[in-house]
Amino acid sequence: MKLTIERTAFLKSLGHVQSVVERRNTIPILSNLRMDATDQGLALNATDMDLEIVETLGAEVATPGLTTAPAHTLYDIVRKLPDGSQVELTHDATEGQLVLRAGRSRFRLACLPVDDFPVMNPGEFSHTFAIPSADLRSLIDRTRFAISTEETRYYLNGIFLHATENAGVPVLRAVATDGHRLACVETPLPEGAAGMPAVILPRKTVGELRKLIDETGMAVTVSLSEHKVRFAFDDVRLISKLIDGKFPDYERVIPTDNDKVLEVERQPFAQAVDRVAAISTEKSRAIKVAATPGLLTLSASSPDAGSALEEIEAKFEAAPLDIGFNARYLLDILDQIQGDSVRLTLADSSSPTVLRDGADGSAVYVLMPMRV
Amino acid sequence: MCALGVNPPRDYVSRSGVAGQEGPRRPPCPLSSPGIRRSFPMTIRLLPPTLVNRIAAGEVVERPASVLKELVENAIDAGAGRIDVVLADGGRARLVVVDDGCGMTPDEMVLAVERHATSKLPGDDLLAIHTLGFRGEALPAIASVARLTLTSRPAGAANAWSLSVEGGAKGTPEPASHPPGTRIEVRDLFFATPARLKFLKAPRTEQGHVVDALHRLALAHPGIGFSLTDGDRSVLRLAPAQGDLFSGRLDRLGAILGRDVAENAIPVDAERDPLRLSGAIALPTCNRATTAAQYLFVNGRPVRDRLLHGAVRAAYADVLPHDRHAIVVLYLDLPTDLVDVNVHPAKTEVRFRDAALVRGLIVSALRHTLAQARPQAHPALGAEVLDALRAGGAGDDPLPAGTLPPRAPQGTGSLPWHGPRRPGQGALRFAYAAQAPAPWTGSGAGAGEGGGLAESGTARVPLPAGVVEPFPASAEGLPEDPGDIPDEWPLGRAVGQIHATYILAQSRDGLVIVDQHAAHERLVMERMNEALAEGGVRRQGLLLPEVVDLDEPAAQRLLEAAEDLARLGLGIEAFGPGAVVVREVPALLGDTDVKGLVRDLADGLAEWGTPQILQDRLGHVVATMACHGSVRAGRRLGLAEMNALLRAMETTPRSGQCNHGRPTHVTLRLADIERLFARR
Repeated sequence: MKLTIERTAFLKSLGHVQSVVERRNTIPILSNLRMDATDQGLALNATDMDLEIVETLGAEVATPGLTTAPAHTLYDIVRKLPDGSQVELTHDATEGQLVLRAGRSRFRLACLPVDDFPVMNPGEFSHTFAIPSADLRSLIDRTRFAISTEETRYYLNGIFLHATENAGVPVLRAVATDGHRLACVETPLPEGAAGMPAVILPRKTVGELRKLIDETGMAVTVSLSEHKVRFAFDDVRLISKLIDGKFPDYERVIPTDNDKVLEVERQPFAQAVDRVAAISTEKSRAIKVAATPGLLTLSASSPDAGSALEEIEAKFEAAPLDIGFNARYLLDILDQIQGDSVRLTLADSSSPTVLRDGADGSAVYVLMPMRV
Repeated sequence: MCALGVNPPRDYVSRSGVAGQEGPRRPPCPLSSPGIRRSFPMTIRLLPPTLVNRIAAGEVVERPASVLKELVENAIDAGAGRIDVVLADGGRARLVVVDDGCGMTPDEMVLAVERHATSKLPGDDLLAIHTLGFRGEALPAIASVARLTLTSRPAGAANAWSLSVEGGAKGTPEPASHPPGTRIEVRDLFFATPARLKFLKAPRTEQGHVVDALHRLALAHPGIGFSLTDGDRSVLRLAPAQGDLFSGRLDRLGAILGRDVAENAIPVDAERDPLRLSGAIALPTCNRATTAAQYLFVNGRPVRDRLLHGAVRAAYADVLPHDRHAIVVLYLDLPTDLVDVNVHPAKTEVRFRDAALVRGLIVSALRHTLAQARPQAHPALGAEVLDALRAGGAGDDPLPAGTLPPRAPQGTGSLPWHGPRRPGQGALRFAYAAQAPAPWTGSGAGAGEGGGLAESGTARVPLPAGVVEPFPASAEGLPEDPGDIPDEWPLGRAVGQIHATYILAQSRDGLVIVDQHAAHERLVMERMNEALAEGGVRRQGLLLPEVVDLDEPAAQRLLEAAEDLARLGLGIEAFGPGAVVVREVPALLGDTDVKGLVRDLADGLAEWGTPQILQDRLGHVVATMACHGSVRAGRRLGLAEMNALLRAMETTPRSGQCNHGRPTHVTLRLADIERLFARR
C-alpha cells in the first residue's frame, strides 16, 4: 500500500473516526483503524464493536492495500504536522509496519493483522429514508439531555426513535427519559419511514452522530433494521447496534388532564430559576415555585446559605399552587425551548408537570416534581 | 449392635395393641447395614432416664466450655463471692468449679442430680426468673456423660458430704471434708458418649472456649472474684471489684479486655422506662476486627444476640472504618416478664417482648454517648505512637529516621524501658492509622491544583460557625505562653503546621497532632447532616414508578418500614403480594439503581431491622460532598485558622474520627515524650 494525502483532509477524517475508538481497550485491535486504499481513495474504519464508522476520502493511491494502525497515535501525529503538508503512507506487508512521511518527519507505526479487525455485518435493512440534517439535529438536541446514565435500566440509556401519529399526522418521534424527566420531540415523518421498527439509539451513537452531522448540510440517509441502524451522509457511514430492550410505554406518563395552565416568558423565567437556585447548596438544588394568579414566586432556602425569593409575572388563572422542582432539571428543559414563552400545565404538587414551547407544539417535556 | 431393636428393654410400651401393626418380625440384625434403617418396624417406648439425660446433654453440654458455664452459673446463683476453676487437658480430663456459696444438704445433693430438680423456681412462674438457671437440667445432663463428684457443705453445717455419679449411675452421699460452699468435679467428660468426644477440638481450643465463657460471666458479675487454672498455669485471676458499680465494671472490663479498652471506655447510662441500659463502650478509635468484643448482658445473663451487633453497627455507622467493629459491654436490665429466656437450653439466646424498643434504646444511647464524647486525649493512639517510635528502624516505619530516638542495642543499655520488642498489633495499627491519610494527601493536592469541581464545592460549604467567628487579635501569630491554655481547650493551642497537612498543638499536658483534612471533613459532614436532619430529605418523584419484585416477607418488611423510608426520601407502596412500587427516591441520590437499593434495603431490614442501608447511602453522598468541600491536605493554614479548627473540633460531636473512621488527631502526653527522651 502506498498513497499520498493532503494533511488537512486526513486530519478531519481522522478526527471523526478516532473518537469512536475507546481510550482503553482490552482487545488491542480495537485501538486501531482499518485503512483501505483503493482506486477510489482511502477508507478509514473504526469500531468499538457496537458502533462502526467508515469514512472515505480522496487520496492519490499509488499501490492499493489494506492495513490497520493505532488510531490515537496516528491522529496525534497528523494533528501536529504543519498545515498544508502532504502525508505519504507506505505499508510494507513483509515488515508489518506503516511508514508515515511528511516533509522531513518520518514515523514507523506498528500494525496489527487486518484479518483481526472486526468489521460489522450490517445485515439487511428493512427501512431506508432520508431526513434533513437540521431535523435530525433538532430531534437529538432536544432529547439527549434526558437520557439516563444509570446502567441498570439499560433501555433508558438512549433515545427511543419511532414512527407514530399525532392528531392524524404521521410523525417521527424521539423520546428520552431518566425516570425523573422526559423529553418527547417530533418531526414530520420522512418518506419511507412509515412502518419502521421502533428503535433505541445508544447514548454513544447519539453523541457521535450529533458531532458528525453538525458539519453537513445535506440530508442524512437512515437505514434501519430491528438490530442495527446506519446513518449515511457525505462520505461518512455510521453503523450502530441498537439497544436491545423495551422502552417503557412513555405515552402513559405524559399527563393529558392537567388543567392548571401557567404561561411565563421563557428567558426571564430561566434566569430567575438559575438565580434562586444559587442559594441551594445541596446537590439536589431544590426550588419551590408558588403560582398565584398573575404572579409566580420562586424560592429556595438552605440552612447554610440562607434563602432566596424572586417574583415573576405569569399568566395563571387557577387556584394557587405550590410545587417543588430540581432546578437543574427545570433549566435543562428551559434551555431546549426556543420560543419566547413557555407553557406549563400542572395538576398538583406531586403529579408530573408538562412543559411546552408556547409557540411550537413539536416538543413536550414532562418533569416530576420534588417534595420540598 | 442391634441390641436395642431386637431385645427391647422390659419397660418398653408396645404399640401392637393400638393398631396391630407389630406384624411379622424381620430376621434379627440384618447384616451390617449401616445408618438408620427406616423399614424396620420399631415400637414406641419410653426411654430410660440415663438415655434421656444423655439426649438432654446433647443440647446443654456441647463442650467443656458449656459445662463450665452451667457450673459457674450455679455457683453465681448460689451467691458465691469467689469462684475458682481448675482445668486439666482443656477441661476434657478434669474440670473443677469451687465456690463459697450457700451449699447443699446431702438430701438436696441426691435430688440435684435428678432431672428437672431445681431450687431456682420457687413459684411456678416461668416469667419471673431471677436466677441464671431454672431448667434443672444441667447437673443430670453433665452427670450422664461424665464422672461427676459433688462435694458441698451448707453454711453452718458441721461437715461436708460428697456424692459421685458416673455416666448417670448415682452413688450414695458420703461424709467428706470441705469448707462451706460447693465443689463440683467433672472428670472424663463425654466418656459415656464417645461420638461427642470425637467432636472435641484440641485442648488449647477448648481452653480458649472455656476462657471466653468465663470472661462473659466475669464481665456480668464484677462483684465476684474468679480464677482459672489449667494444669499448673494460672490463666485468669480476677479480684472481686471494689467501689461502686460503674468503677467495678470498668475495672473488670480493663482486666478482661485490656487496659487500652478501659482507658478508651466511656460510660453508657440510659433509661427508657422500664428498660435500663448501662455499661461502657470504647471510643471508635479503639476497635476490633470482629464483633467478638461486643457483650450484652440481659439481667446479668450473657446473651449472644444479632440484635446487639446490628444496633452497635448502626450507632457507630459513620465513625468506624467499615471493616472494623466496636467494643461494647452493655448491661440491660428490664422486668423479667418482658424477656423470655426459655428459648434455648443453653440460654444464650433470649427473646424480647419488644425487640424494637430494646434496639432503639441501644442505638440512641450509644449515639448519644458517642456524640457527647468530646475531644480528649486518645491514650490508646498515643500509646501506639510511642510503640511506633520505639519500633524505630523497622523498614516500613512511617516516621522519618531523623525523628527516631537513638537506638540502643536491643534490650540493654540506655533505654531499659524498651523491654522486649513487640512488633505486634500496636505498631501495625498505628502504621495503619498513620499511613491511611496518604491517599487523601495525593488526591487532595491534585484536586487543589486543578481547581475544578472540588474547589467550587468548597466555596459553597461554609466553614463551621466556630471558624468564621472573629478571633481574638492576640491569637494572631504570637507565640503564647504555654501555661495559658484554658481548661475548656483540651486540644490546646496551635503552634504550627507541618507539611501543610498536620497541625501541631500544645495542650495542657502534651502534644496534639491533628490531620487537618480529616478533622475539617468531619466538621463539614456534621453540619451537612444537621442541615439534612433539619430540612428533611428531599424526595424526587419518579415519572416511571419502579416495580421491584421481592419475596413476600421482604416486601412486607419494607412496607412496615415505609414510614421510616419516606422520612429518608424513599416513597414505596404495596404492589400486590411480593412486590413494591417505588414512587419517590431521595433527590440526593440522583439517577440511581432503584431496584438494587430496594433489594439491599430488604436484606438490611431482615438483618438489622432498620433501613440502615439507605442511611448509609445518603451518608456516603454527604460524606463525599463533605470531603470535597473541606480543607485539603497541602493547604497552608494561619494560626488563627488552626485554632479555629481546634475550637470547632472541641464542640462538634464525633470529631475524633473522620467520615471514614480514621482518627483526626492523636495526643502524646508530656510524660510519654519525656520517656522517649529518657528523662524518666
